Amino acid sequence: MAFVTALRRLAHVRLREYSWRTAAVTSGAWLTSQRSFTSSSPSLRSDNKVTINFVNRDGEKITVKGSPGDSLLDIVINEDLDFDGFGACEGTLACSTCHLIFDEDTYKSLGPVTDEEMDMLDLAYGLTDTSRLGCQICLTKSLEGVVARVPESVADIRQSKDESS
Amino acid sequence: MASLSHFTTACWKNLQGDRMNKQLFFILRALHKSAASEASGISAAGEEAMPDRLITPVADVGEKTRIMTLKEMPGPSTLSNLVEFIWRDGFSRIHEIQMEHRKKFGKIFKSRFGPQLVVSVADRDLVAEVLRAEGVAPQRANMESWKEYRDMIGSSTGLISAEGEDWLKMRSVLRQLIMRPRDVAVFSDDVNKVVDDLIKRVCILRTQEPDGATVHNVNDLFFKYAMEGVAAILYESRLGCLENEIPQETQDYITALHLMFSSFKTTMYAGAIPKWLRPVIPKPWEEFCLSWDGLFKFSRLHVDKRLAEIEAQLERGEDVKGGLLTHLLINKEMTMEEIYANLTEMLLAGVDTTSFTLSWASYLLARHPRVQQQIFMEVKRTLGPGAVATADDVPRLPLIRGLVKETLRLFPVLPGNGRITQDDLVVGGYFIPKGTQLALCHYSTSFEEENFADASDFRPDRWIRKDSTDRVDNFGSIPFGYGIRSCIGKRVAELEMHLALTRLIQKFQICMCPRTADVKAKTHGLLCPAAPIHLQFIDREI
Repeated sequence: MAFVTALRRLAHVRLREYSWRTAAVTSGAWLTSQRSFTSSSPSLRSDNKVTINFVNRDGEKITVKGSPGDSLLDIVINEDLDFDGFGACEGTLACSTCHLIFDEDTYKSLGPVTDEEMDMLDLAYGLTDTSRLGCQICLTKSLEGVVARVPESVADIRQSKDESS
Repeated sequence: MASLSHFTTACWKNLQGDRMNKQLFFILRALHKSAASEASGISAAGEEAMPDRLITPVADVGEKTRIMTLKEMPGPSTLSNLVEFIWRDGFSRIHEIQMEHRKKFGKIFKSRFGPQLVVSVADRDLVAEVLRAEGVAPQRANMESWKEYRDMIGSSTGLISAEGEDWLKMRSVLRQLIMRPRDVAVFSDDVNKVVDDLIKRVCILRTQEPDGATVHNVNDLFFKYAMEGVAAILYESRLGCLENEIPQETQDYITALHLMFSSFKTTMYAGAIPKWLRPVIPKPWEEFCLSWDGLFKFSRLHVDKRLAEIEAQLERGEDVKGGLLTHLLINKEMTMEEIYANLTEMLLAGVDTTSFTLSWASYLLARHPRVQQQIFMEVKRTLGPGAVATADDVPRLPLIRGLVKETLRLFPVLPGNGRITQDDLVVGGYFIPKGTQLALCHYSTSFEEENFADASDFRPDRWIRKDSTDRVDNFGSIPFGYGIRSCIGKRVAELEMHLALTRLIQKFQICMCPRTADVKAKTHGLLCPAAPIHLQFIDREI
């Protein structure tokens, strides 16, 4: 553990300077990914915020605001919206639990879908033609007032329910 | 990528041994396991013990509402299983047995391996139900022996061997680094340098043959490629696997890795022998430890090397630049022991898995020249002559993506994955108590006609979408798993395979070597070629 101690001692002095960001900037992508999960920074003026309307599984409309650049998953997390099981893999494209459904016009305006998102959408429960993954949709001003419906929950096979129901 | 930790682990632990030891071992394991099974809730009693409330019909589902018990679940008898696995070496045919049992017993069936009950789920929709019902920290199989070794040497568990909160903590760190496609795309140049060496190696190897074209046992080549590739990303350094002279430390690692797999039959049941019996039957546990010693030593060496470099850079007041390991060392979201353990496990899991898939993909291309030509035309058209593809080009190469998907459908590296249920579940109409070992039968669902038309045909174009709303309900083939405990190296492995296959197809016409006939698959922990694959690599005319 001598190495660790040595590094810690050294790193302690210059910790801020040599924070992970140095590495992240160099390799390009981690800064972006990290940002999407620390996006609650209040740096953007409130008039820049975009209004989003989520419709939860009970059909209830929840209106929140988010900053341009945030993903819809970020907003669900930042606003602490209680959609059971939503965003299990933290936006790393390993599941499809942040599945959202849009109306057709909105869907068309959401921009291209990557292959990896399509592959994950294939595994989404209650898939529709206008489904997308919330983690892949970044807010822009043009999405002001967007409606995103959280699809019905998976038939829960836990405990006492019959799976065939 | 979790190479060893699928459900067969549980089976191996119970039964696998060289022929001499089989029966003795079986009995020993039975003795040992009975206590452990009770602790984890897998008990014979579990089959009958069903809470009364569950017997009551669920009101809204009409007639066929009675939830059945495990006791009513069909499956091979304990005796026939014993014969199958012990006298007929069923472990190497575990993928075929999966298919046979699916036909015979249906979508869900139970098998007994000594005291260990395994419920096999062999249906796309039921697999989907199980995976969708997962909680925050799914458990794959019993990893006691892995943990024991780590406790013994004072190390940490890694993503394969850890469970619960420990696992979740490490997974949360690592997935933010190597799971998003865009985070992995930055490794294109590093991987392409390894692909350069792969191509050079092919050229060197074939000159050693009289026909000037054949590469013997391509898996040996792809093993080195995969190891070099994954190490370039994990350790930020090159190992020299594809050089003529392999450095000693790298060779030592390869030896340790081979020991781990070649002595699979002994090492995998190392943890199964109760501690008090180890003085009498010491070999399995010793080999198990010896392999791990070698694997850990290698990781420590490379992690410490990078740490020393960073330290020197800091002393000189320089900017520290780097990738995955640098991030982990500087950011300190994990302890040093956790870093060692995870890099060890990720390297282990990222070598054979990728190399077997590349071997099968090349084999399938050689067997199907017309498909190969179709893919070559796509690559040529898209990239133009001589251009080197990066991750950014892959979306424009749908047949390359299709090739990898189709290869993994026909030869899923993990023919089955495991889950230990974290809740009481009802699957396929049966009550399955918490703590039951499930086997998700990916191999058999991959070959279901209902899921894939002409399922035994090799057709990479079946994965091509007409447009972005064209869907393939592909729970039938999920070689990397699904969800929070799916393969963390999926995107890295895909990148390595996409870039290597694109370049191989660009450069060579891959043909069957007259000496290679039909190569079948066998299960040896992973689904691997049952015989060496020799292929010819003939230069394409530019």
